[in-house]
Amino acid sequence: MSGVVRRVGLSLLGPVLAVLVALVISALVIALIGQDPLEAFRVMTDLGQSPSQQVQSIVVILNRAVPLFLAGLAVAVAFRMGLFNIGVEGQYRLATVLAAAAGAAVALPGPLHVLLIVVVAMAVGALWAGIVGVLKVTRGVSEVISSIMLNFIALGLASFLLTGPLRGSPPGASIITTAEIPESGRVPSLNGLLTALGLAEPRSGLYGFLLVAVVVGVVVAVLLTRTRFGFDLRATGLSPSAATASGVDARGMVVKTMLISGAIAGLVGLPDLLGSQYDYGTEFTAGLGFLGIAVALLGRSAPVGIALAALLFAFLDRAALPLQFADIPSSVVTIIQGTIVLAVVVANEIARRLALRSAERAGASAGPSPQTGGDDGAPPPTAPDGGQRVHTGVPGDQQGAQA
Amino acid sequence: MSPADSPAGGAAAGDVPLAVELRGITKRFPGVVANGDIELRVRRGEVHAIVGENGAGKSTLMKTLYGEHRPDEGEILVDGRPVQFRSPADAIAAGIGMVHQHFMLADNFTVLENVILGSEPTKRGRLDRAGARRRIEEISERYNLGLRPDALVEDLGVGDRQRVEIAKVLYRDARILILDEPTAVLVPQEVDELFGNLAELKREGLTVIFISHKLDEVRRVADSITVIRRGTTVGTADPRTTTAKQLAELMVGAELPTPETRESTVRDTPVLQLVDVTVSDESRRPVVDDVTLTVREGEVVGIAGVEGNGQAELVDAIMGLRPLAAGSVLLGGEDVTAWSTRARREAGVGFIPEDRHRQGMLLDAPLWENRILGHQTRPPAVKGPLIDRRGARADTARIMREYDVRAPGPDTLAVALSGGNQQKLIVGREMSARPRLLVAAHPTRGVDVGAQSVIWELLKDARAEGLGIVLISADLDELIGLSDTLHVMLRGRLVATLDPRRVTPEELGGHMTGARSTAGAA
Ligand SMILES: Nc1ncnc2c1ncn2[C@@H]1O[C@H](COP(=O)(O)OP(=O)(O)OP(=O)(O)O)[C@@H](O)[C@H]1O
Ligand SMILES: [Mg+2]
Repeated sequence: MSGVVRRVGLSLLGPVLAVLVALVISALVIALIGQDPLEAFRVMTDLGQSPSQQVQSIVVILNRAVPLFLAGLAVAVAFRMGLFNIGVEGQYRLATVLAAAAGAAVALPGPLHVLLIVVVAMAVGALWAGIVGVLKVTRGVSEVISSIMLNFIALGLASFLLTGPLRGSPPGASIITTAEIPESGRVPSLNGLLTALGLAEPRSGLYGFLLVAVVVGVVVAVLLTRTRFGFDLRATGLSPSAATASGVDARGMVVKTMLISGAIAGLVGLPDLLGSQYDYGTEFTAGLGFLGIAVALLGRSAPVGIALAALLFAFLDRAALPLQFADIPSSVVTIIQGTIVLAVVVANEIARRLALRSAERAGASAGPSPQTGGDDGAPPPTAPDGGQRVHTGVPGDQQGAQA
Repeated sequence: MSPADSPAGGAAAGDVPLAVELRGITKRFPGVVANGDIELRVRRGEVHAIVGENGAGKSTLMKTLYGEHRPDEGEILVDGRPVQFRSPADAIAAGIGMVHQHFMLADNFTVLENVILGSEPTKRGRLDRAGARRRIEEISERYNLGLRPDALVEDLGVGDRQRVEIAKVLYRDARILILDEPTAVLVPQEVDELFGNLAELKREGLTVIFISHKLDEVRRVADSITVIRRGTTVGTADPRTTTAKQLAELMVGAELPTPETRESTVRDTPVLQLVDVTVSDESRRPVVDDVTLTVREGEVVGIAGVEGNGQAELVDAIMGLRPLAAGSVLLGGEDVTAWSTRARREAGVGFIPEDRHRQGMLLDAPLWENRILGHQTRPPAVKGPLIDRRGARADTARIMREYDVRAPGPDTLAVALSGGNQQKLIVGREMSARPRLLVAAHPTRGVDVGAQSVIWELLKDARAEGLGIVLISADLDELIGLSDTLHVMLRGRLVATLDPRRVTPEELGGHMTGARSTAGAA
């Protein structure tokens, strides 16, 4: 159906524009610091010479994309009902340290052990985010403020736990970590799958958690677009007053959404924890929660979009090291990511106008037929992006998820 | 009546130029020609009414004039000079002001802030609140708008919001006022007051373009009338010589309906009982004060009153949207005071809210999702915990057919519908659930005379089958014609109970303003 194709095309327009604009700006910046932008882009897109190097690069990208995707999903679920969960960072750090400690403390048979770690992480994330929800409905505290505050507390709490009660590394070690999770609590890599596909064996393992992330993505997509609960959630995001009048319990909805968002956030640290680190330490991957906000924005709060955005960000992150080898400052990557986020906000608005214009032109070319009363098979008006919806201030793109 | 083909645009020799002239305006939306080759000529200093059925293209035409979008074809002349507006800011600069069919107010701002928003007065670089307040109070005084500058818009009812919108335009010193259904929720006295005050401005050269579906009102206040049908001008009419009946025929080619209730269908079983219901506002002042009323099966209970006398809060109390300070709500004999809104809806309460954009729809969602809204727990749109997309689409298509909702299809976004068509969708949706009790606030707000009679018929049929209805309306004919029992609400209290078969609109109006004594008649 051409209508669907057009709609998908138009919803891609904003993000694609944003990426292009970001590339142009970054190229200018690179040129300004006296480097060759084309050379920099060549280094960034060079995945390696040999097949095994290339596979390795792809594995690195995927392994980075998995936590980014989960972080983006956590943010997006809240976005869709008009809540801004900035607290993913704190939620996943606290969840990971506790899950790591719990995983190291028990000995269970394989799948059960992993399950326990996952459940602990999700529960901790959910509870931490739940505080935000409860504060909002009982005290009217803005979730933006409380989740930022709780980030500080969570980070402090996590380092206290790490250096104090949950410390597993020997005293005097340069890196403080929790005790290591035994073999039974680790998620096996998917390298077997890669070799079975005839690809070269990469040096590091492709996270088995990738599969979990895919399942979570599908579940979230189904939850949002196909269930009553998801309808209530999106309705609240679109119009809180109409949702309330329709019988949605707005307060309950805030708490439930924060719990779900937090539970997903709790998973963010697990791919690294169970796939390569096996303990939580001072060096554990940080900043995923904040990147998740950018990823959710770029992906327009729809699971497929978030997956693409996560892959893009992961691809850029991987380029940091090769850039350094080529004597180009790796902060180029950060600049690109930063400009993407800025550009995405602007581009969404431009795309919205273009979509409107093209829709009107399409209507015009339909010719001056008498006004239609019924169904004449005309394409439905395209959904402009909702990035500027007043009461939320965050994109809760309707069409992106349906297309 | 004369056809709209009168030649000689602009000014005939010696004449003052027309305040507004639209020539051959065409505006298309995907699948729809909203305006096709429209002609409109408005003289300076007149009240010019535009009438036409729902979706005829009235709002679209006015938005074109106001610079909200550009016409695909055609010319706009203001004071005889061709203009091209790129945005409403250009139109405002040219002295045009518009009150939209749907409110454009910022909820969490005060009345004062809303009025000055976009044209903030400054004094030495700082916001001149005191000056603004003085002007707003002056405007409020002069046009009898009764504005409270410091009230939060969020807390206002539809009538007050309407007045804020009007004040907003007056504040900007517009010389050409576009009013898109400004009176849909105002009672007749308020309409008269508004236009009485505008008359003075008219003498100073103010031009008013006015859209309404209330044909009697149009005939009372308008100096000339343009009729639009299916996106194009079909004629102009002289309000002095044209009857409402003729107008209706010109508009929709149908007879003017009257909401005459036939024989009473009231049964004994009560559907809704309110016992000593009191609702308080934030400052603990009762806004609904000790209200007791009963709605029986097959009965329409009308609540008359000037907007802002507690009707909205009463509706909220029935729907469970606002906690009671005292009293109880019984549904079919069962105490539902503590029930949630959803539980009440599931128990068979239908709801047509006074402000369809605020409480009745998701504008950025397709029509089929709007079909689900408020019925999230019931077939045909849901299956267990899942949304039944196909069922919802099919049922939306059925509602669109049966209720004559004019739109390309169930996947159209609600925002693309004309106001009246949105209303018809809401009515269709609520009636489709076969409710036991219908809480209807202005059920025919903004729908054209043809659709109005259809909705009235539907309500009457459902009533004959045992539906109990709480009816709130600013349309006194509707209230008198549909109601079996008529209560008058004033300052939160039910002050009179009247017999709708004997009361005249004039008497009812007197009761509503408290001019008549509270001695009940029924
Ligand atoms: N933004 C839009 N996108 C697509 N179609 C639109 C849009 N706005 C209006 N339309 C269509 O244009 C037609 C005219 O709509 P308009 O709002 O002008 O009607 P109206 O005369 O004001 O009706 P009402 O009395 O119900 O308010 C309708 O068929 C409507 O569906
Ligand atoms: Mg309209």
